[in-house]
Amino acid sequence: MAEMTANLERSHEEHLREQHLMLDPKPRGEMNAMVMEAMHTTSWKFWVVAVILGAIVLVGLFGSWGYMIAEGLGVAGVNRPSYWGIFLVNTVFWIGISHAGTFISAILRVFKAEFRRPFTRAAELMTTFGLVQAGFSIFMHMGRVWLAYWLFPYPNQRQLWPNFHSPLSWDLLAITTYLLASTMYLFLPLIPDLAMARDRSEGWRKNIYKVLALGFRGTEGEWTHLRNAMNIFAFAIIPVMFSVHTIVSWDFAAATRPGWNSTIFGPYFVVGALHSGMGAVIMVLAVVRGTMKNMKYFIRPEHFDAIGKLMLIISMTWAYFFFNDYIVQWYGGDKWTKTLLHWHEAGPLGWMWFLMLIVNVAIPWLVLWNKKWRSTPWIVFVVGLLINVGMYIERYIIVPISLTINRQPFTWRLYQPGIEIPLSIGTLAFFILLYMLASKFVPLVPVWEVEEGQMAHSVKKFGRETVVTVSELE
Amino acid sequence: MELIDLNEVGAKGAIVEEADGKWGMVIDQDLCTGCQACVAACAMENNIAFVDEEDAGYGRSMQWMRIERFWEGEYPEVKMTSFQPTLCQQCGHAPCEPVCPVFAAVHSPSEELNLQVYNRCVGTRYCANNCPYQARVFNWRDYERPEPLNNQFNPDVTVRRRGVMEKCTFCIQRIHRAEDQAKSEGREIADGEFAPACAQACPADAIVFGRLDDPESQVSQLARQKRGVQLLEELGALPRVTYLKEG
Amino acid sequence: MADTVSLLAVFPDLEPAANAIDKLRSLGLSDGQMNVISGIPITEAMLGRPRQWTNVPRLALGGAAGGFLVGLFLIFTPILYFVPVGGQPQIPGPPSVVVLFELTMLGLLISTFLGVFLDSTFPSYRPMEYVPEISDGKIAVLFHCPQGKQEKFTKAMHALGAEKVEVAEAQQL
Repeated sequence: MAEMTANLERSHEEHLREQHLMLDPKPRGEMNAMVMEAMHTTSWKFWVVAVILGAIVLVGLFGSWGYMIAEGLGVAGVNRPSYWGIFLVNTVFWIGISHAGTFISAILRVFKAEFRRPFTRAAELMTTFGLVQAGFSIFMHMGRVWLAYWLFPYPNQRQLWPNFHSPLSWDLLAITTYLLASTMYLFLPLIPDLAMARDRSEGWRKNIYKVLALGFRGTEGEWTHLRNAMNIFAFAIIPVMFSVHTIVSWDFAAATRPGWNSTIFGPYFVVGALHSGMGAVIMVLAVVRGTMKNMKYFIRPEHFDAIGKLMLIISMTWAYFFFNDYIVQWYGGDKWTKTLLHWHEAGPLGWMWFLMLIVNVAIPWLVLWNKKWRSTPWIVFVVGLLINVGMYIERYIIVPISLTINRQPFTWRLYQPGIEIPLSIGTLAFFILLYMLASKFVPLVPVWEVEEGQMAHSVKKFGRETVVTVSELE
Repeated sequence: MELIDLNEVGAKGAIVEEADGKWGMVIDQDLCTGCQACVAACAMENNIAFVDEEDAGYGRSMQWMRIERFWEGEYPEVKMTSFQPTLCQQCGHAPCEPVCPVFAAVHSPSEELNLQVYNRCVGTRYCANNCPYQARVFNWRDYERPEPLNNQFNPDVTVRRRGVMEKCTFCIQRIHRAEDQAKSEGREIADGEFAPACAQACPADAIVFGRLDDPESQVSQLARQKRGVQLLEELGALPRVTYLKEG
Repeated sequence: MADTVSLLAVFPDLEPAANAIDKLRSLGLSDGQMNVISGIPITEAMLGRPRQWTNVPRLALGGAAGGFLVGLFLIFTPILYFVPVGGQPQIPGPPSVVVLFELTMLGLLISTFLGVFLDSTFPSYRPMEYVPEISDGKIAVLFHCPQGKQEKFTKAMHALGAEKVEVAEAQQL
């Protein structure tokens, strides 16, 4: 009898160990070797995809952009009244994606959510590369992009200064701050892993890692400074993250257009960013786990389960803000706003509005409550993909579709994208390409954080039950 | 009873300009025949580019003044409404000005007009989005001006290239010319001494231009008429154009 | 320093390393003559060591103040070069808050980042005492013992479970 109980307990423990990365420690050297192997093992399929993406980037992004600069914005689909089109949709979309990285590496760190440990870096890389695409998109939409430096405050002979009344100037400050902050926040926890890579590399790779690791050894002083800085970053980058997408939303909310001049745009956009961002993170993690060696040890169904729960909550929050915006406009809006709402649902692109609600709200609410489905990588990948489609549609509705209806009916005209399509595909291809190349060079899993977490986790008996305990090591 | 002073309503601490303004226009919609002579004259006076058919059909026509026409009912019981020449209203509190990140849309304190600085514009098009009258037009391409149309250029006005926003300026070059003339002769500008191109061209004399701050000028007297309305007045942008209709 | 020799003792785990620190203290070394190099951050309290100083928080606050001042500069420059726009005041209230906030945060974060560099004297590519096993999770104790006592210290470290004890050579990392 005692033997059977002991066997049951052992298998329960084994079950816990199989489920939870934090309870399944491996020697650090072995984990290091796994991460290095994941970086170095490259199949030919990787190179085929990389070359295809590179071609798309060259033609779709840089080639088309050069053509547009030479010909003018007429080759795009923007017109009166939709002066802003897919370029702004892309900008908002990519900034939204970039918020996920900060959410995971900052907010989850602050709340001590231990499940974040293996994928903070994978998410932070998304932030940096997403912001690069957002930067491209915002420069693309400018009529005279070669004069973009006029938006920066620099001393000049004409005694001209950028206009800080303008939400676009706030955008510049906010996005620059966020880009620099998230790159620095990506780099700080990366330093110990670069040191590990330096110790385990040869030749030209070792030289690069040696330079980037800055001579890090792991002395008490170095760890203290690093962890102190990471703490400050984790707390400080959260208000920056909220402010960035709020400021982007003010590009629309501060304008006089019906449907745009809504006071709820600030939090609505932030939640929308988290919504699409978490969907993108899950997609990236599913792909990384499926295609990179040894990642099945680090990224487990428990992580998809945890992120899936967050996705469900964020989807509910998004629905709350969407409905908030909708009901007050529907109820007490002026005739232009009401016309716009009707146009959203019953106009020629009304199907997009319904599709958005289905994939942003209905599908997550139907799928993500189920723990088993949440823990299945391909299911949450599909849900994440659909959410991203839905959130792209949401921004499409907010920018070109809402711009169609203004207070001058004589000017109403439907927006039809032109060269924006290859340019958008180009930015997406560039994002994926940058990420793929980074995965070959940057250790994707922060092994020192994983080991730190494994040190803190243990299994304990509470009465007859075996539970997971986490010690507070800080 | 406290009346609301339109001069005070606005952003806290806002620079206050007289609600009436200095240069203004009155357009009599009951006289307007929709002939578009004003549109043509404006295009010639201000070196506006000719937009090809495809672009014009896609909402990219570059008319600083456009004639809007509406009708009520279904064919054959169609009832026409007045033609509405729509142009930049040179708002006192222009929504297009604060949103330009490079100060290309600014307010002129001396002429009390809304200025568009072509060589400063970088083409973010926020001003056009924010204009409630959709009065701004953008150079979507470098449009060709085949020979001999280039002989028609007005030397007082620059030409704009692709990527630059433009709009009606109340023919500021004519204002300056008249002011220079008057100054050199040591007098004030007489009412009706000059007119912008649209007012000059209108065969029905539906467009009247002048000083709104002079109560005796023709435009002030017309603006005070009971028939006078302002477009989208409730937005508080303080437009300087008064429309006379349904007399 | 000529009469001390630097030894590096590598331990596989936390407990032996903590015992080693106690032992070294009992053998007469001060805390300043010891240093711990590890692959994961181990708080000083776990090893019974005094807390490390760090300037990073102060530098961060200084940087935030610097960012705030830059923000003020950007906001108040229009007093010199005023361009009137759209019925808004010369120094607008709410936009100023936005500008100040963003630049304060930027100053805070950049100075935190650079503070790490400054405090840890990064980057430093000189040869330093290190063994690659550290990034594989071992805990190394670097200490300076008097010249003659090298044998004694080495034996003590081995007795407490050190995997290897060697003279710490400064090597290119």
